[in-house]
Amino acid sequence: MTASNEYRFQVNLSGMIQILSNHLYSSPKVFLRELMQNATDAITARTEAEPGFQGEVRVELTGTGEQLTMMVEDNGIGLTEADIHEFLAMIGQSSKRGQQALLDGETSFIGRFGIGLLSCFMVSHEIVMLTQSAKGGPSMEWRGKPDGTYTIRQLETQLSPGTKVYLRCTPDAAHYFETEYVKEALFYYGALLPYPVILHSDGVQHIVNSESPIWLMEPGLARGRRAEVLAFGERLLGEKFQDFIPLTTASGRTGGIAFVLPHAVNLNAKRSHRVYLKRMLISEKAENILPDWAFFVKCLIWTDELQPTASREHFYENEKLEEVRSELGDALRKGLADMAERQTERLQKLIRLHALSMKALAVQDQEFYAMIHRWLPFESTRGHRELGELMSEGETLYFTTTVDEYRQIHHVASAQSMLVINGGYIYDSDLMAMLPQVVQHVQTQRLQPDEVSMSFTDVPPAERNQYYDALRLADSALQRFRCRAEVKGFKPADLPVLFTLSQESSTLRALEKASEESTELFSSVLGSLSSGISSAGYSTLYLNISNPIIQRVLTTPDAQMTPIAIEMLYVNALMMGHYAMNRQELEVLNQGIVRFIDWGLRANTDRKGDA
Amino acid sequence: MKTEMDFEDLMDEAYGLPNGTAKLGMLEEAARVADVNGMEEEAYEARSEIVETATFCGYPMKALIAFSWQLGKFDQEPERYDEETLMWSYKWILGELSSFPEVSRDKMMELLEDFGRRFKSFGYSERSYWYYRFRISMDLGDLEEAGTSYTKFRSMDRDFMSDCEACEQDEIMRYWLLAGDDEKVLEAAKPILKGRMSCAEIPHLTLSEILMPLYRLGKIDEADKHQAKGYRMIKGHNDFVQSFAEQMDYLARTNPAKGIDVLEESIVLAMDHEDPFAKMMFYARAAQLLRRWADESPGYRLRLPASFPYEGDSGDLRILADYFAAYAKAAADKYDQRNGNQHVSSMLSEV
Repeated sequence: MTASNEYRFQVNLSGMIQILSNHLYSSPKVFLRELMQNATDAITARTEAEPGFQGEVRVELTGTGEQLTMMVEDNGIGLTEADIHEFLAMIGQSSKRGQQALLDGETSFIGRFGIGLLSCFMVSHEIVMLTQSAKGGPSMEWRGKPDGTYTIRQLETQLSPGTKVYLRCTPDAAHYFETEYVKEALFYYGALLPYPVILHSDGVQHIVNSESPIWLMEPGLARGRRAEVLAFGERLLGEKFQDFIPLTTASGRTGGIAFVLPHAVNLNAKRSHRVYLKRMLISEKAENILPDWAFFVKCLIWTDELQPTASREHFYENEKLEEVRSELGDALRKGLADMAERQTERLQKLIRLHALSMKALAVQDQEFYAMIHRWLPFESTRGHRELGELMSEGETLYFTTTVDEYRQIHHVASAQSMLVINGGYIYDSDLMAMLPQVVQHVQTQRLQPDEVSMSFTDVPPAERNQYYDALRLADSALQRFRCRAEVKGFKPADLPVLFTLSQESSTLRALEKASEESTELFSSVLGSLSSGISSAGYSTLYLNISNPIIQRVLTTPDAQMTPIAIEMLYVNALMMGHYAMNRQELEVLNQGIVRFIDWGLRANTDRKGDA
Repeated sequence: MKTEMDFEDLMDEAYGLPNGTAKLGMLEEAARVADVNGMEEEAYEARSEIVETATFCGYPMKALIAFSWQLGKFDQEPERYDEETLMWSYKWILGELSSFPEVSRDKMMELLEDFGRRFKSFGYSERSYWYYRFRISMDLGDLEEAGTSYTKFRSMDRDFMSDCEACEQDEIMRYWLLAGDDEKVLEAAKPILKGRMSCAEIPHLTLSEILMPLYRLGKIDEADKHQAKGYRMIKGHNDFVQSFAEQMDYLARTNPAKGIDVLEESIVLAMDHEDPFAKMMFYARAAQLLRRWADESPGYRLRLPASFPYEGDSGDLRILADYFAAYAKAAADKYDQRNGNQHVSSMLSEV
């Protein structure tokens, strides 16, 4: 291609700025972070050239109303005229080291100077920058407008090396320029910076970040400074914590403190870890830096090895991040393991608050499960208990896999004094199934609802024979529901019947219900599927011989009354078990009620007639 | 005690859970509560979620049942529900259908036509119809028909109802795999392996599918790399039972000890799997692997989940392998019968 064929895109800068502010950054307030990043990058560059150099950032607020101005000054490397053209005229050009280094995530710089500066147009209609390069040359002034025009001129006086940026606030950005707000924001972004950040306002000077604590960079030291660490966490994260776990990775390039949240957290709660890149706050809601199960902590993390996304509010999901995430996860796990060994009470307290997180982790990690299993809480027929207590009974631990199954059987099972655990909540049945592999001498067994019947008392054949006629009537009444009747004795005696459903019959019920509602085509597909399900798909209605009403139903068979009574007991059992009823069953219920009312009233009238 | 929760609570809790049986249980409970209380729109909403969750965690039958119900409701009152979500679910259903040998060839074709007719009536691109025809033909072992549909779907415009590029590319790769052209498989896999195409399931699936072609071409180093990365991505997720099978297939030949780790770690997921095809593949590859491992490490006792329905001695790996093989062969026979060819059993020829 010859040069004459080459064209350049005409970029509309004001449009770009619109896009940046509306889509890239989460809020205009990030302009301050961007300025701090530029300052930090400039200081880093100067420190690399002059080892031992002491950096400093000063922020000054002056004027009021339309004259309200913010000045951000660093004593970093500064820009030459050539630098200005390179970084500001060619937006998207990264600072100092060229594009590739940034993409590799191996640069010592955080920002992209030009784009970072553009974010200031979200709060100011003019940006003025004065700069003096540490490499010499004249001091320069750059003035930029949001329409993309700018001017550059040499200053007559020589400034000391560094860069000053002046912003005059727009009316709707005024609150980003209030002293208290700026002070908080500077601490927020810069709390970990290794040099002072100073704010001047109304003639008063504050050092915003007192010396960054040594234990942050060497988290191992945090253990010995409990009170100090907790206080720092409270100031920065705004919550009163009672416990924490230090985090480090093998490379030592990422570390931090995991503060244990003082309240229970929902599994779907947003993770909101605060992450500092090169000691500058980069994200306050980094969701992907810790494993999913770690939702019981809020972390302060610093790193110098991860690559930020364009908005610099998250990290790219790449192998490096995966590695860091798994190492941080290991550190957290190790912290818990140490507690399990040495400070069981502390761990117990933690588990009580964050059982779900602990269970999530235990499912993935058997060693961890073995370590903490004693303290994990479960719902059982003996109430809400810790697993250790339940195990101490030395019995087989039966468990269901759904809340539904548990509900079907827990009355009966507890009356039989079987120890059954409700495995219907997340992770619980998995944990129960794994338990024998993890702990010795424990028996667990999955309990299907129809297995409860094993502990029923059989009715001897001779006795059963007396009920032959009644049972035949019952079976034929239940036939159309693909259910059969059985007589057993069981506790509690006030429960007349118990309905149980095997996995297959449950699937069949669902198939039929869907079939009723679906299109012809799909109904026929469901039909062929149900033919593939084994004929074991019968459900069972257990009639409790210990119950007086059942006694009566069984001993006085009546071709008219018995089928209706059985049908009513059947639909009643469905209701008790909270099953959705199909059309046929609903009809039985409706007709049955009407009939019984009719009978009741008629009997009443008859009696009156007798009198 | 938390035994009865209302619909909103159940849905809230379910939305917060990762895909898996617990979430599915919560959603089923929500659908049940909605049914019992006659809340139709809520019941529909819960079933939408069931279809999605069940599709991606190994319960295609549950997905199909919930979808059938939804479709019926939709046809009765189409203005009440959103057709896009429903039609998107239809694609998942078609994708899973062939896994049930009870569903005949004819029925599958009828469903495909129903799907095509509906897509057309909503003004969607016909690409989806031809793409699913391509997939189903592959499932049925009809490679010629698959080839025709392949050409057809590629020539049509994609629209917002089309499967994503990464998924399509993965299916194209499967086509070459079935056609036995390993070079073409690698070529088709390239954009995925280079990271240019990805989605929630890609490259997860691809990284396991590519192992045997690479092995046959002698590119073991590359295969090993993909194996490690792929396994890391799918470990513990029962959406990937078939991928575990592919991993075992490869590891049986290159590193049976690692294969045994995969087997022990994933068998509990395969055991409860509702997709009979994925389960068949898993059992078949487990059999192969166990035979290989029995030669190398006699006396090893395989750690089976407590609820695994096998009465024999888990230390006799050959007999255990026979058990797995018998299961897989019986399943393959059913598919062959339905498909009217030896397509499925030929995939298991080494078992």
